Amino acid sequence: MQRIGDQIAEIITLHGGTRSEAQRRAVDLLDMVGVPQPATRARQFPHQFSGGMCQRAMIAMAMANRPQLLIADEPTTAVDVSVQAQLFDLLRTAKQDTGAAVLLITHDMGVVAENADRVCVMYAGRVVESGPVDDVFTQPAHPYTRALLNCVPRLDRDVDGALAAIPGGPPDPMAERRGCAFAPRCPQRQGRELCGSEIPVLLGMPTSPGKPQRTAACHFSTEPPVSMEPDEGAAPSRAGEVPPDDEPLLEVTQLVKRFAIRKGVLSRTVGEVHAVDDISFTIRRGETLGLVGESGCGKSTTSRLLLRLVEPTSGDIRIGSVEVATAGRRSLTAVRQRVQMVFQDPLASLNPRWSVGENAAEPLRLRGDVSRSERMARVHELFERVGLLPAHSGRLPHEFSGGQRQRVAIARALITDPELVLLDEPVSALDVSVQAQVLNLLADLKRERQLSYLFVSHDLSVVRHISDRVAVMYLGKIVEIGPKRTMFTAPRHPYTRALLASVPVPETGRARTGAPLQGEVPSPTDPPTGCRFRTRCPRAEDVCAEVEPPLNDVGGTAVACHFPVLEPWDQTIAGADRTGDTTMPSDANVMTTGGPRHAH
Amino acid sequence: MRTELLRRFLTDRWSVVALAFLLAMLLSSLLNGSLTGFEATATSSDTLIGPSPVHWLGSDELGRDSASRLMFGARSSLLVAAGSALAAALVGVPLGVLAGYFGRAVDAIAMRIIDVILAVPTVLVALVFIAALGPSTTNMIIAIASASAPQFARLARAGTLEIRERDFVLAERAMGAGHLTIMVRVVLPNILAPLIVQFVVTAAGAIVVAAGLSFLGLGIPPPEPTWGGMLQQAKAYMYQSPWYGIFPGVVLTLTVIALDRIGASLRRAMGSTQDLGRASASAPGRGAT
Amino acid sequence: MRAYVIRRLGQFIPVLLLATIIVWAMLFALPGSPAQVLAGEDATPEQIAAIEARYGLDQPVWLQYLTWLGHLFQGDWGTSLVNGHAVAQLIGDRLPATAQLAVLAMALTLVIAVPLGIAVGLHPRSWYGRLTNGFLATGLAAPTFWIGLLLILLLSVKLNWLPAASRFVPFWESPVGALRHTILPALAIALHASTVTARFVASSLSEVMHRDFIRTARAKGASEGTVLRRHALRNALVPTITVVGLQLGSLLGGAVVTEVVFAYPGLGRLLFTAIDGRDFSLIQGSVLVVIAIFIVLNLLVDVLYAFLDPRIRFD
Repeated sequence: MQRIGDQIAEIITLHGGTRSEAQRRAVDLLDMVGVPQPATRARQFPHQFSGGMCQRAMIAMAMANRPQLLIADEPTTAVDVSVQAQLFDLLRTAKQDTGAAVLLITHDMGVVAENADRVCVMYAGRVVESGPVDDVFTQPAHPYTRALLNCVPRLDRDVDGALAAIPGGPPDPMAERRGCAFAPRCPQRQGRELCGSEIPVLLGMPTSPGKPQRTAACHFSTEPPVSMEPDEGAAPSRAGEVPPDDEPLLEVTQLVKRFAIRKGVLSRTVGEVHAVDDISFTIRRGETLGLVGESGCGKSTTSRLLLRLVEPTSGDIRIGSVEVATAGRRSLTAVRQRVQMVFQDPLASLNPRWSVGENAAEPLRLRGDVSRSERMARVHELFERVGLLPAHSGRLPHEFSGGQRQRVAIARALITDPELVLLDEPVSALDVSVQAQVLNLLADLKRERQLSYLFVSHDLSVVRHISDRVAVMYLGKIVEIGPKRTMFTAPRHPYTRALLASVPVPETGRARTGAPLQGEVPSPTDPPTGCRFRTRCPRAEDVCAEVEPPLNDVGGTAVACHFPVLEPWDQTIAGADRTGDTTMPSDANVMTTGGPRHAH
Repeated sequence: MRTELLRRFLTDRWSVVALAFLLAMLLSSLLNGSLTGFEATATSSDTLIGPSPVHWLGSDELGRDSASRLMFGARSSLLVAAGSALAAALVGVPLGVLAGYFGRAVDAIAMRIIDVILAVPTVLVALVFIAALGPSTTNMIIAIASASAPQFARLARAGTLEIRERDFVLAERAMGAGHLTIMVRVVLPNILAPLIVQFVVTAAGAIVVAAGLSFLGLGIPPPEPTWGGMLQQAKAYMYQSPWYGIFPGVVLTLTVIALDRIGASLRRAMGSTQDLGRASASAPGRGAT
Repeated sequence: MRAYVIRRLGQFIPVLLLATIIVWAMLFALPGSPAQVLAGEDATPEQIAAIEARYGLDQPVWLQYLTWLGHLFQGDWGTSLVNGHAVAQLIGDRLPATAQLAVLAMALTLVIAVPLGIAVGLHPRSWYGRLTNGFLATGLAAPTFWIGLLLILLLSVKLNWLPAASRFVPFWESPVGALRHTILPALAIALHASTVTARFVASSLSEVMHRDFIRTARAKGASEGTVLRRHALRNALVPTITVVGLQLGSLLGGAVVTEVVFAYPGLGRLLFTAIDGRDFSLIQGSVLVVIAIFIVLNLLVDVLYAFLDPRIRFD
């Protein structure tokens, strides 16, 4: 309800500035944080700002009075990875200019590695380890830290086999606790009594002189680390181990979806959102296609189009012998038994009034030819397979944790024995430690049942881990599609490279260079002519504005670019294409939680 | 979940009291005169006296015992309340769900009609109906139900619109469910909470409107005793017996308070279970459980 | 914003027309032919025939409607059976009285409701919060006309401070007199309406206080009072305005019964007299005016709300 400029000015006037002074300073601050046309923007309202710009305004507000301490609580959770990189650049600059100390709260290990000088790891309300970021990352002293660093899928290398997931789930904040909170999940414990009876004290550890202090709260921190056993019940698996069948299961040809925008008195169509603009791809039996892109690129719409939850504007979607786009009711229902979907938010995708058993059985119930007892038997069978207790099938969704709910959703998706499962950000809403469990489960199921997956995600590390092939989308178009290996070791499209370079990797010691992708995604109602990426592309030339580049094969990958990059890619150099200066780290404290948010 | 609801409802002492009060009233209305020793229609020569050992709450201009009449009057009040609320729900809810689910043309037409009716307060709509149809219990129920149905429609529509976008409805479609199935099995049970509360609220309002109509002489015709009718007579005898006008109003108010209390308690009890379904969902992004 | 207003206006006209159709169609719901209804119970056949001719009641239905609509626009709203005056004039005479009552009631409502609502919204568990809540629950439940009756009993019969039956004393003629005669009915209406409004203010406020931007404001270092005034109230009061605006419409409705209680010569009482005397033209006219007022008020409130919400204004 209040204009942006006024909100920034308020914090100045509250601490003793005059009104006009504050207003001027507000405009200056907006300029400093990179908001274009700051004077005009200051008069606007929050709903007219994009998410990234709102965060910039928040940073401006926080920096207005030149604070000594800046507390950033998950500042980039809701923004795209490219904007995240820009925002951290900004925070770095702000920190430098004012000499402020920064307390950064985050769950993202990559963010910690790239931005922090020191790290504090928390679990169940206590600090379990702290120290300089290099030391903690290379030689973690607490089993939880170790486990956390190991269970995250990596962007810079393939994780062979299953992820080393941490068994169990985050602790219940309301439960009584004796001893170390991490003990039930700790591989280091090895059945020892002490962990269950005494809470370990945070003790200092030997460090080299001149370095900040290191501490750890573990009874056995000095022992050599015991590695986490692979997930129980899941044999080591390789994503992509099963060689895919040659015949395509799903064939998408020139799929288009445009949404009309209605405005004005008579709801005239004044424009169109080009959500999905002429994309084609196939998925073979037993194959996982990862679909990545930032918000607004059309990846979620694509998955909904495949099941015709949204009507395509034009194009073909062929599943087996059925043409989904034009299928009649009966064929469509048949297809919807062969193809199932898992949604992002497990709580929202389960009917809150039905038990989890009823939720899972619903596809069978709709099919109509299975008796109640048979349905229940099937549910029990699947629950066991996905790691849930069949005895709990009568409980309601809200009684389960996020990871468990997602398992219910997976059971529901598998209950009709589908061939293709569409997964729309299935692990994005889960805690890091739970994420690994679910990913392992998905990989196992795929192998056992020869499933194909369409895995939509914005998280590139996850996509790298689980996919066989990857497609990158930008503003409704596929800009690059090819085998996973090539995509991550030799990306050809400038956008892909920029995207990869923006993702912070949980390894310290890399040069901190500027954000590789500047600016924001153009509006999907008015995409740039020719190549849509050209407005942000360092390699753009005139032809890019005139001619839209088709997908051409370049060494096994299809790329839509007039000037594909042929140099190899090395994630450890953090992107040779980046521009921007290397900044010297100043003092910053970073706190990270891999556990549930209420732990802090 | 139902036992959970009941438990939460019972923790609110006042609403339990309210419920007890209503039940007591219902019970006493069915016993004609056994409690007070007088029949509701029996006249006597003790006219317009205040509260006394014989006539606990006084008597009216024909010597009839006020307390008995009040108890008897509860019958029609509660009947009209329950009847109108039920009728309004049966008409309004399907309309609202259809409008919210299908949207566009269906929605536009339905909403225009509802807007007209909603634009006018219940009393007037009821007045117009009674003026056309003539006073009687059935007509009163029809009149009040017509005025209250739009509220149900609006609530049902709002709930449907919100539920329609949720993932589990999308999931139902993805699994191949048809529209009718979705509306009845998925949408309806999930929008019940505000509708139940509205039921109680409508019932409470119906009592007041019915009393108002009776007060104006357009309610249930005599000799059936009604609370509003008693108030109408009370106004004429204002100077002779102030008590005449106080008690019917007190009973009316208490009944409505009781219903309101139950409604608020239900809203609270159901609101919490709904919130449980939404708590985690509103903490988006990576890192949340 | 402009598009929004135009769209609302566009919706408003069909609704109004629909209302006229409903009002006009009521004629057919009554026993007897329309002409008989309009002419009244004691009408002679000649009078009935005259009515028939005048309104063209032998013509097809839709033509009848248009004729009637045409008459409306020309200012001929029919004649009252009771006293033979033109309906339009009768209504016109009473309108200022009801307007005055409504305005006074509205003002009283705001004065009572806003502080009470803030008290309950901010501190629902304090002693004054609970007390207020109890008062609100009672005020909500008690029928307006009964409150009116009680007020008369107390202030007129017992204490004899104010007149029991009110006349219409226009404000511009005698402010004190106007106040004397209008305050009781206005108070009766306001006591009821303010409970609804206060409840709304309370819930709106407590909902706003939990939002993130309040947390931000506190984090900025604002005092609790500033947080309340500058941030919370502004957000909470905007929806309240719409409720209050709608109450104004509802006032006119509750006014029917209240006006009868106080024998106040306003539109509501006119309607009641009309219904009582089966004076159909008068019923039609009054109902139409009341509905029209509501619809217009709804429109104004919507536009006001749109104006105050920057999300709609700057789009």
